[in-house]
Amino acid sequence: MGRILIVDDTMFMRTLLKNILFSGGHDIVGEAADGAEALARYQELKPDLVTMDVVMPKVNGIEALKAIKAADPAAKVIMCTAVGQEQMVKLAVKSGARGYIVKPFQAPKVLEEVKSVLSA
Amino acid sequence: MKSVPIKVEHEGKWVPTTMGIGEDRFRIDAPLNTEIFYKSVVDLDEKKNQVVITAGAEGKTVYRVASVEKVLSVLKKFIIMQASAYRLNAYFMSPAVRGGVLIQDARWDKGAIAVMKTGIWFVSQEKQVCIPIGDVAGIELTSREIQEKDLNVVKIDHLSENEVVTSFVLCPMTTLQVLYNFLKEATRDSEVNEEIDPLTGQVAMLVYSGMDSSAIENMLKLSHKDLDAVYERLLEIGLAEVLYIRKEVQLTPKGVRYISDAVKSPIN
Repeated sequence: MGRILIVDDTMFMRTLLKNILFSGGHDIVGEAADGAEALARYQELKPDLVTMDVVMPKVNGIEALKAIKAADPAAKVIMCTAVGQEQMVKLAVKSGARGYIVKPFQAPKVLEEVKSVLSA
Repeated sequence: MKSVPIKVEHEGKWVPTTMGIGEDRFRIDAPLNTEIFYKSVVDLDEKKNQVVITAGAEGKTVYRVASVEKVLSVLKKFIIMQASAYRLNAYFMSPAVRGGVLIQDARWDKGAIAVMKTGIWFVSQEKQVCIPIGDVAGIELTSREIQEKDLNVVKIDHLSENEVVTSFVLCPMTTLQVLYNFLKEATRDSEVNEEIDPLTGQVAMLVYSGMDSSAIENMLKLSHKDLDAVYERLLEIGLAEVLYIRKEVQLTPKGVRYISDAVKSPIN
């Protein structure tokens, strides 16, 4: 089970992910609503894994991913975005993302992906 | 025509017999003793190690055949390639997304697509995938980055073993538009035309994600009655179906007596 930081600009999606991850036995150590806050929270909390929304105000998810990877190359980040933005996958993977979740998602698959990234 | 062992449903029973699979037709031996041209087949459905073949001008003759996967695979391929159906050559990727998780090693298969009465079939050298029309949750004409180019694709969302799966079809734009229109028409019954208010939409999203009633009530700060009202709306417009009915109870005098007694001499 892991210590997870959830990054998403909508409270609804953060709450949904929090519920899913909590039901899988994970510990939600923090939340952030944009990319800039994500980097600060990452450095402060040192989570085992980050779920990162791609489209966010101020600093977007890809930029935040790059910043987190620059600060900690071993960081485990799963990108999370809406249907139709799958083109971002290559960019995210190139920038160091370990996994990719497409909204809307189903709890068992999210937990499987998180487990697989945490154990990698 | 090479003969292979099969079982066929005859008068409500499974009967062992043989089947001949030819280039343009297949034959089912006694007790059916019949030959069926692939082009007369109007529908094909599969269930585990069985196929259900509907043939004839009015689609009235139904054959249920059980056999090993290898035999059924050859039979299905002939039927899909020659049956009376809307068919086109295309590339397909199925599944591309499962339960919202992108399948990273998914690849494009070169093959054909046949839209039959009850299902959409993808067939390639290595794969045979059937998406039952009744399981299609969405059809969209969209674009996807393929070999660093944005190309038009048809995106099909469908249910598979209680998971939402996304598949993609790629072919020239003119054919793609025809396929899209054809699939739209075939799945018209599942289109949502009703206005959905934001709360109902949020509840639907949470149900989709696998949240139960108590998690939804906590997340959206809803009472049991409020959530029931939203469920009623989802049921009314056909977006959901009843899985089971939750009960609320109060104790009978016998129950009250049990609790009173239990408090006097505590139970472990």
